[in-house]
Amino acid sequence: MEEGNSIIYGLEHQTRALSPQYGESDAIRFLIGTQNLKPQANQVHVVELEEDTGALHTKVFKHEIGEIWHLRCSPHDVATLLTTHNAFDPNSSQCTMGVTIFKLPTVEVIPKDLDDLSAIQGRNAEDMELLKTITSEKPEEEIRCAEWHPTDPNRIGVVYEGSLRVHDVNTGAAVATTAPEGRARLKFTGGKWNPHQGHTQFAVLQDMHIKCYDTRADSNKPSWSIDNAHRQLARDLDFNPNRQFHLATAGDDAALNIWDYRNGKEPIFNRTDHSHWVWSVRYNSYHEQLLLTGSSDARALLTAAASVCRDLDDEAARLSQVLEDGVLQSYEQHEDSVYCAEWSAAEPWTFASLSYDARLVLSRVPRHFKYKILL
Amino acid sequence: MGDIQEAIDNPLDIDGSNFNADLYLENVMKRATLRQIMDKEAEIVTQSQFLQSEMQTLVYENYNKFISATDTVRKMRSDFRIMQEEMNKLSENINKITSFSAQISESLKESGNNVSRLCGTRQLLDKLQFLFLLPSQLNKAIIESRYADAVHDYTHAQRVLQKYGNQPSFQSIQTECSEIIYGLKKTLRDRLLSPETSASELAECVGLLRQLQETDSSLKDIFLSCAESRLDKHLQTLSGMVESTDILEWVEKCNQTLLADLGIIISCYHEMFQDKEDTNIPEFADKIMLQVFHLFEEVAKRPDNVGTEILIRGLDKFFRKLQAMTEIISSETMSNKATEIVIQCINNKATIQYQSIQTQFKESLMKVRLSLASKSTENTDLKDILNSLQVYLMQKVQASLLDLMAFLQNNLSFGLKSWCAKAVADTCWKVISETMANLSEMVKKMACLQTSNNNIPFELLLILAKLCLEMQENGVTTLHSHLLKLLEEAAPGLTIENKDTNSIMVNLSTAAQSALDSEVIFIGQTAAQMLRVSVLARDWLRAPEPRGPRAVCRRVVETLASADSAASQLFPTSVKPSSDSSRRTIWSRAPSSFSPINRIFSERIEVFSPAGADRAALSNGALKVALKALVECVRLRTFGRHGLQQLQVDVHFLQQRLSCMGNDERLLNALLEDALSSAQLRCVDPQLMEPSIVDIICERG
Repeated sequence: MEEGNSIIYGLEHQTRALSPQYGESDAIRFLIGTQNLKPQANQVHVVELEEDTGALHTKVFKHEIGEIWHLRCSPHDVATLLTTHNAFDPNSSQCTMGVTIFKLPTVEVIPKDLDDLSAIQGRNAEDMELLKTITSEKPEEEIRCAEWHPTDPNRIGVVYEGSLRVHDVNTGAAVATTAPEGRARLKFTGGKWNPHQGHTQFAVLQDMHIKCYDTRADSNKPSWSIDNAHRQLARDLDFNPNRQFHLATAGDDAALNIWDYRNGKEPIFNRTDHSHWVWSVRYNSYHEQLLLTGSSDARALLTAAASVCRDLDDEAARLSQVLEDGVLQSYEQHEDSVYCAEWSAAEPWTFASLSYDARLVLSRVPRHFKYKILL
Repeated sequence: MGDIQEAIDNPLDIDGSNFNADLYLENVMKRATLRQIMDKEAEIVTQSQFLQSEMQTLVYENYNKFISATDTVRKMRSDFRIMQEEMNKLSENINKITSFSAQISESLKESGNNVSRLCGTRQLLDKLQFLFLLPSQLNKAIIESRYADAVHDYTHAQRVLQKYGNQPSFQSIQTECSEIIYGLKKTLRDRLLSPETSASELAECVGLLRQLQETDSSLKDIFLSCAESRLDKHLQTLSGMVESTDILEWVEKCNQTLLADLGIIISCYHEMFQDKEDTNIPEFADKIMLQVFHLFEEVAKRPDNVGTEILIRGLDKFFRKLQAMTEIISSETMSNKATEIVIQCINNKATIQYQSIQTQFKESLMKVRLSLASKSTENTDLKDILNSLQVYLMQKVQASLLDLMAFLQNNLSFGLKSWCAKAVADTCWKVISETMANLSEMVKKMACLQTSNNNIPFELLLILAKLCLEMQENGVTTLHSHLLKLLEEAAPGLTIENKDTNSIMVNLSTAAQSALDSEVIFIGQTAAQMLRVSVLARDWLRAPEPRGPRAVCRRVVETLASADSAASQLFPTSVKPSSDSSRRTIWSRAPSSFSPINRIFSERIEVFSPAGADRAALSNGALKVALKALVECVRLRTFGRHGLQQLQVDVHFLQQRLSCMGNDERLLNALLEDALSSAQLRCVDPQLMEPSIVDIICERG
């Protein structure tokens, strides 16, 4: 993958689920889930980028229990993943959503010999091992997303439209439930575990607000919140992996905000570079000043927020001097809305963006910015 | 005429000058009969005889006159000889008189010397008497407070006393005098220090002391310190008056007391010490004047004195006096300071002007805002509001320019000075530019506020945007030329320097842009919000068969239409492209066409992008925001067959109603197509309705 050149991978169906393989530390691997209402038509694609050659290898797995709205690889086990799916039952003419944990038969994607190669070229979708399916007690209730607990492999946080529950992976039972308070009953749109504070907090997006609940207590009162984080709906959030009080949010006002949630009145960083709703925001887990956003203006933007990553020590001060705040690079290879953009878990400079028209674009941080950060 | 000429030239005319005897004779011979010739001859003979006798008479008469003249000349010659003799006698007599007078002066010389010696003695005696009487004279003068006479007398006598002071008879006089004078000096010093003495008396005292040979430097010090204490008192009274009187009264008082005294003191100082190199006086004057200026500034700033007329009159009086003072003081700093104070007054005035313009404009804007908020859009004529705001602003600025021109009146002491004209020109320009800058700033702030809370009616944003644009296009130049005209009247030949029209224009246009952007976003978001909520709240999977477009579509169309009609009042669009295709119904692409290849040929749509200052562009902007939201929300839902058909009806309805807004039908269709095809993708049973049925349903709805 040369400077400025991105690698494009196309799928057949619409897509809005993408996840890097968190447990993998060597290979640059991403998992994509398709979204198609036709029965038995959905797949999970595993895409691996061969760093030396720039070649792209894929493996396809069947996902027959419905269209995939959200997909997360487990940080605890390379082969395990979690999908949030939806299926239409023509008999009852009802949609049912669920969260299912799968295990891949193999994580290897790159063929080792000719036999392997021919098997892959045959493009026969393989089966995954279904470990557990969790569904809502109320069949009509929509599930927004499911997130692995950062440290406990037996816990997952599931965001329903009206509540947040923590489920036990083995039994499927809810061990903690939190419902939004207040008369308005604004629906949840997504959420994430807080990687700090002892991994007990789960932050959810509720309309324009961010609310963070302590999962140990079945309290309806958030332990902290950022009201009116965006002027329109808030679409995504990501915690700064290094700074325990910082989080980035994105929303329908086309803005990217960074907050210190101890003071949730004003964002400490604010950019409005997209020209439509921003659906996804991610911190680079190695270099916190790099942020990746995907938007329905069909762009992925690489933004630097060096000014809020300034520390008192010399190292960070030097870093903040080399990168100026603002957009570093705009990636315009998409033709439709970009709903997902994710950094690779294994390599700090590679990321993938996925648009609704089923196009995955693998790109790199431009070399001169990389050198600026490193040198 | 020709006849006469002929007659003159005729050689046959016997009296003419060209008479030719032969020709005549020949002519007569030819024409006349013999008898006639005989007659002619006789006639000519008689005539010539008559002429001859006449000539003789003339000669006789003139001869007589010549003879009498010769006689007269002969008589004159004998008379001159007698006169010569008499003259000789006279000169002899004169010589005799001269010698006699020399003898007389010789004899009188001795007695003349005697007389002059007597006169000298007499003078000396007079002086001696004066000396002896001096002590009593001095005392008398001092008692009668005629100090000047006393000092005058003493200085006269002093030289003599010094010269002959060693003689015993004078010694007593001298000591007596010294004592008296010592006393006098003391009285004078006392007077110097007493507060009641006026400046002129003070000057007199110091003058006298100086004549009494006090040393200069100590005198100067005493003089200045006394003067200062006196002036300080004036300053205190004046500063006490600052709060209670108007500027005219204050300046009057200041001129009469402080400045008048200062003038006297300084002129006296110069007169007495006549030291051109002295630096004390300018320093002293500067020190005092600094305080005066300070007080004046305070007075000028007081709210009672903001009225231009009164301020100018006060300033004029003050400046006149200062100018007069500069001649006396001849200090550079002071004249500079005087100029500065006038300029500062002008600047202050200008600042007050543009600040008041801003506050007044804000107030009127607030009224407009309230009236817009209370009334419905249809009833208000936005153009009227715009016009009234614009006229209001222009008039305010023009009035304040006119007001500032008052500083250039011819009858003012500073009115005709070039520096003053320049200052006025600069401040006038500043009023214009500041007003424009304030306007832009305010509009920008409002646009910003708009996006964060929705209190400001969008019509107001449109009006403000238009106002900024109008100002940018005409307003600034109109004001500029108006200013030039005023200046040309008041101070011909003056130009405005360093005017920075460019940044004003840029400011105005960015302000207009942000207001327009904010309006577009507001309208778009309002519609988008309606669509979003309606799409997300509805159960599309089990929706009943469509009976008409949903109510929300009507509301969306209404919202967009009201904004469009408001925009059309202020931003009339150019020729609208013919809309043959407006009746064209969009038929969704098959899901298979939902591929990258299809999109390559359509342009990327920037949803939140800068809005153009044009009705169509504004509507396009709002449409984009609203419909893109529809697309995105549709993709989050799952549709049943009837749900899809309902959306088909909605999309058709929107397409019909919205195609008259904006001018980019491709954009509208692309977004609606996108919405419909997205819905198809998200449909479990994608079957569209017959276009004709959709048409009917839409019309029925």
